[in-house]
Amino acid sequence: MKRRASFEGSSLTEQNTRRMRLQANAMLNASTFDPTPLAKFILNLRQKPANIDQNDLMAVLEVIFTNLLKRESLDTQALQWDSLYTETWVLLLDRIGSTSQVETLMALKVCMSLIKSEAESPFVEGDWPIGKLKSILEILINGPERTIVLKEFGKYTKYLDVLNLSIKFALELAPTGDYQHDTIKALNYLSLVNQLDLGKAVLSAQKYHVDTNKSHRSFTYEKARKKLNKIWRGIIASSNGIDEDLHRMVLVVLLERILPHMEDPIGVTDFLMNSLHEYDGPIALLALQGIFVLMQKQNITYPDVYEKLYQMFHARVFSNKYKSRLFYLADIFLTSTHLPENLVAAFVKRFARLALKSPPKDAVIMIRFICNLLLRHTGLQKLIRGDPLAEQVSDPYNEKEKDPVKTEALNSSLWELHFLQKNAIPEVANAATFINNPLPIMEFDLGPLLDVEDSRIFDDLLKSKAKQYMLSYENTKTLALAKHDTVTKHFDLV
Amino acid sequence: MGAKNKRANADAVYAKKTVKSSNPFDSATAQSAKRQNPFDVHVNKEKFKILGRICKHDRGMPGVARSKALQKRTQTLGQQFAVKHKTNKFKDNRIGRHLSGDQLTESVMNARYLAEKMSQVRTSQKAQKFNLNDDELLTHRGQTLEEIEQYRDERSDDEELDDEALDADFTSAAHFGGDDNETSPHDRQVAIDEMIAEQKRRKNEIDKEKNEVYDLTEKLDANYKLLLPLVAKATKDEQEAKPPADGYDKLLKEMIFEPRGSVTDKLINPVELAKQEAERLEKLENERLRRMRAEGEEDPAASAQPKHRSADDLDDGYFVAGGEDDGDDTLAYDLDGNLGTHLNGKAPAKEASGDEDEEADGDDHGEEEESEDDSESEAENYSDLDESEAESETEEASAEPTKKKPKKEKPKAPATTEDSSIPFTIKMPKTYEDFTELLSRHAVAQQATIVERIIKCNDPKLDGVNRENVVKLYCFLLQYLKDLFEDASEQDIREHFQLLSRLMPHLYTLTQMNPERMSSALLDVIKEKFGDHRKNSKTYPTLDTLIYFKLVSNVYSTSDFRHPVATPTYVFMEHILSRARVRTRQDIAMGLFVVAIALEFGAQSKRFLPSVFNFLEGILYIAIPKRDADELVVTPPFDLEGPFSKLLALPATAESKALEQQKLQAADLVTHTITLDFKVRALDTALCLIQEALQMVGEHTGACYLASPFIPLLARLRLKPYPEHVHQHHREVSQLAKQLAEQKMKPVALAERKPKALRMLEPRFETVYDDKRRPKMSKEKEERAKLLHKIKREKKGAIREIRRDTAFVQELKLKQQLQSDKERHEKVKRIYQEASMQQGELNELARSKKRKK
Repeated sequence: MKRRASFEGSSLTEQNTRRMRLQANAMLNASTFDPTPLAKFILNLRQKPANIDQNDLMAVLEVIFTNLLKRESLDTQALQWDSLYTETWVLLLDRIGSTSQVETLMALKVCMSLIKSEAESPFVEGDWPIGKLKSILEILINGPERTIVLKEFGKYTKYLDVLNLSIKFALELAPTGDYQHDTIKALNYLSLVNQLDLGKAVLSAQKYHVDTNKSHRSFTYEKARKKLNKIWRGIIASSNGIDEDLHRMVLVVLLERILPHMEDPIGVTDFLMNSLHEYDGPIALLALQGIFVLMQKQNITYPDVYEKLYQMFHARVFSNKYKSRLFYLADIFLTSTHLPENLVAAFVKRFARLALKSPPKDAVIMIRFICNLLLRHTGLQKLIRGDPLAEQVSDPYNEKEKDPVKTEALNSSLWELHFLQKNAIPEVANAATFINNPLPIMEFDLGPLLDVEDSRIFDDLLKSKAKQYMLSYENTKTLALAKHDTVTKHFDLV
Repeated sequence: MGAKNKRANADAVYAKKTVKSSNPFDSATAQSAKRQNPFDVHVNKEKFKILGRICKHDRGMPGVARSKALQKRTQTLGQQFAVKHKTNKFKDNRIGRHLSGDQLTESVMNARYLAEKMSQVRTSQKAQKFNLNDDELLTHRGQTLEEIEQYRDERSDDEELDDEALDADFTSAAHFGGDDNETSPHDRQVAIDEMIAEQKRRKNEIDKEKNEVYDLTEKLDANYKLLLPLVAKATKDEQEAKPPADGYDKLLKEMIFEPRGSVTDKLINPVELAKQEAERLEKLENERLRRMRAEGEEDPAASAQPKHRSADDLDDGYFVAGGEDDGDDTLAYDLDGNLGTHLNGKAPAKEASGDEDEEADGDDHGEEEESEDDSESEAENYSDLDESEAESETEEASAEPTKKKPKKEKPKAPATTEDSSIPFTIKMPKTYEDFTELLSRHAVAQQATIVERIIKCNDPKLDGVNRENVVKLYCFLLQYLKDLFEDASEQDIREHFQLLSRLMPHLYTLTQMNPERMSSALLDVIKEKFGDHRKNSKTYPTLDTLIYFKLVSNVYSTSDFRHPVATPTYVFMEHILSRARVRTRQDIAMGLFVVAIALEFGAQSKRFLPSVFNFLEGILYIAIPKRDADELVVTPPFDLEGPFSKLLALPATAESKALEQQKLQAADLVTHTITLDFKVRALDTALCLIQEALQMVGEHTGACYLASPFIPLLARLRLKPYPEHVHQHHREVSQLAKQLAEQKMKPVALAERKPKALRMLEPRFETVYDDKRRPKMSKEKEERAKLLHKIKREKKGAIREIRRDTAFVQELKLKQQLQSDKERHEKVKRIYQEASMQQGELNELARSKKRKK
């Protein structure tokens, strides 16, 4: 609901809403059709008076027209409201294009529901209001940035008929020219494509937006796939010199929606490779995931993949949105027990180093991951089971080396884990104690850890009800602590 | 029978007591019923004596048992039988009717009497209500009291029953003829005669004596009764007409009734006091250390110590270092008598909570000192010290009459000289508005005093209601701090900090009054703040959040491995440091403030927070003026490039060279624009904090990993425009970082453990073999079998009892029958008798008629 500014205003608008509903009911129940209140509503919709809630107004109009469209008799009444209906459509489309997000969402909902009613209505000519859907899409793509509205639209693309038509229109409405000239439109377009899900769940559900009308049930996977490939070709053709956000979006669309239905997946290898080599951070990560899919499905070979993966783990990765994707990928890449030990050792060392500087949640993930790797590669256990009589050395591991094989990690030892036991967050410190005991038999399941939010540790801490609140045993006389005072030593506060 | 015996033998006893004679019959007493008759005892012979078996049935007394059973039956069954066909019933409604014997105490009897009296009053007419001289007869066990009085024999009070048995001398003399050489037949006769005469004589004497004594006592009693009213009157009068007490008496009374000081330890000299304090602190410190240790991280001593020792453990000398000295801990009692505190973690924790109370006491006293300090620093007027001292003492006495403990008579320089405008007892304000209004009327120093006084007046020890009050006060204070610091301005920030500084000890005291409630209040606030921060994690929270952190740091034992308040705060700080963007002077100052608090948290436990190091690296990074192509790295929230990556970089001018050394200012926490002097200040502070942070982790293996990233950053710092003290700090930090970075470490290895010994077999004890083969059963079945057996036995016993009851009843019936038969017989006999007599008379009459004829 729209949040109202003042209390009196809200009561006024509410009254209006109630009155509107009453009027609408009266009009629909009347034996003879009188279009005057309807005309008034439409006038209100056009003029947007302040004391009428536009969302409620649209809801009322939706009810009126749904009911009118259901009426069987095709008589003179129809002529009376037909023009009003067209006018309403124009206004609603206009509203979809408005800046207020709540109104846009409402208008979209009303439009889609009217489309459904119209298609099911017994007497309106033209069985599926194709043109109307197209105009909606047109407005969605050409407006300001509409990611959220398009996500809402994604609800409707679960219906096969809408999906089919959307794919068709997406092909027609594709922005011409390079994306870099009109970034917002491109972004909207990509968001729309991102909603076109040809996944198995959608296909097997067999749901249609318009139930009664059989004529548009001509959806076939093959056709849709062909069109989707066409869309992709359009995207790739115009994505030259796009900025990072758009590039990321393209990659997301590719990975999530297009790659599984690609006719010729090998064709995108170059694109992915370029993304991987030219960028770092999220784009490289997404590209790596694409390459991984290709490696899995298409059997392509990419010799430096481990090196690339290795380089992706650096201190800045923890602020990355896609970091759990990275961990997930790394887990899959390092599943094989046939990898050379010095390679895995380098990864282990790198994780350990990063755990020293990372937020607690990631530190826990990496510690568990290290434990899993040590279990997979028993030869690596010498990293934590050194010779107690050995000399003291400084760490031979070379952090700066880009090639994991040359980092000398195998000659090192996991002092980091030892040090991590001194981490201030008890979860991390406890996780790191695994090196003190015999290793567990089963590997840790990283899946649940990857999904959790960063603030979970805080919440967990508060959930456990404490029995004792230990106080420090020295009362401070001022702001300064009796011992180990730091704050007042460096701050001149009082 | 016993009582009769007593009476009968009283004389003999007296005789024996008073006169010693050689007569063997002197000590003769009759056989008493109390003695066990050996013929009553039936002994069950035991064929074999078995050691350790307790035999309950080796002897029994069938006669006694039978008579007991019979008696019981007469009391129960007999009674029932007697009232068998009766339609009416006797109902006992007296108070305590279920009680008997000893249970019928004086109070019960009194209550009974009172109830009786009341019922009488209730039933009688109104006229009789106020009649005092009712001639009611009091009875005791069916006898009037007067009757009892009559028969009371005071003389018997001092009589004692001696051994009534015949003693050996007598029996040997009288029954078995005594010694041969002494006794001849006529001798014996004479002796007995003598004895009888003697006995009679003595009896008379004693009687006489007793009568005399009795007469005398009677007389004395009569006299006393005459005297009694006089005495009572005199004492009463005396009490009323007491002479007014003089000073001495008063003093004496006062001294008697003066509340005696509770028993305390003897006065201890300062040395002992210091020693005790040291011990207390050491104990607390040990507790803290225990909590500080990680759950997973094992105490080296504890891990070396074997978990279990078999009884046969030979202790064959395999020791890991440190194992030996702790060996005693497996089973040891500490001073309090608790078993091995090392074994269970709970006991010491409880102790600790107990300690806190002590601590609280100690802190009261600490507070006094503190206020002393305050006033010393504030008021330098010692000229009127003596006066004010006296003043304060009297004032205090009036101000805190409710204070439980008399305060120590310690010369206390009063804060009251300044705060005379503040009343001494301040009520707890009802609402927050009242509270702020109360505080806003006063200056900073006085505000603290107000809070202190509210706390003192609302000590939960005084009144249970105060428990809520102090919690409320604490919440008010938290809210007040929030209001103060949330939108503090450059002008008043320092004042606010001064107030905070003064409030800190009071906040501590408050928390100590009810750690659970206060902590959860604070936790709620922190939780709310965290919620706000989560929504807006890219910006720094308001200053009040940081103040709460500082509060946590000051009040709680932050070195604990896991602490319900400190750990969430740690996480919160981690979130802030690793997320919030550093853009303004305020951000930098706040970040450094949080870093400093985090360092305080970890100062004792030596635990590190990664984001602290990241943040400090970031601060160094933004102080470096760099060209674009740089290989230095920095973690978010710091920007790798752009305008914010050079926030603290100094332009190459010489103006900053001459700046004085300065700590970060309170105003830095609220201002946005970055000035030249701030840049120098911030970098200097950052350098100092780096040093502290590195020192903190320096002792751990792996500290090099945190130290080494600083080295390139420090090296790249362009020091030229900075003043000398920054150079100095820079040198120190660089040296420390390099030293730590070159740390050499032993490879990680599993701590050496004692090799697992072969499992020793404990001796297996067989169950006792009793040659009774019972089927093996499960526990429940066995239990059930036992119970069934018991039921069987009980049933048998019950059947026997019933049989005997029937026999008893039959006997009673028979008796009744016989009785009635006998009566009938008698009646018949009498009728016959009468009839025959009548007949006889008739016959006589007839005969006499005949004769007449």
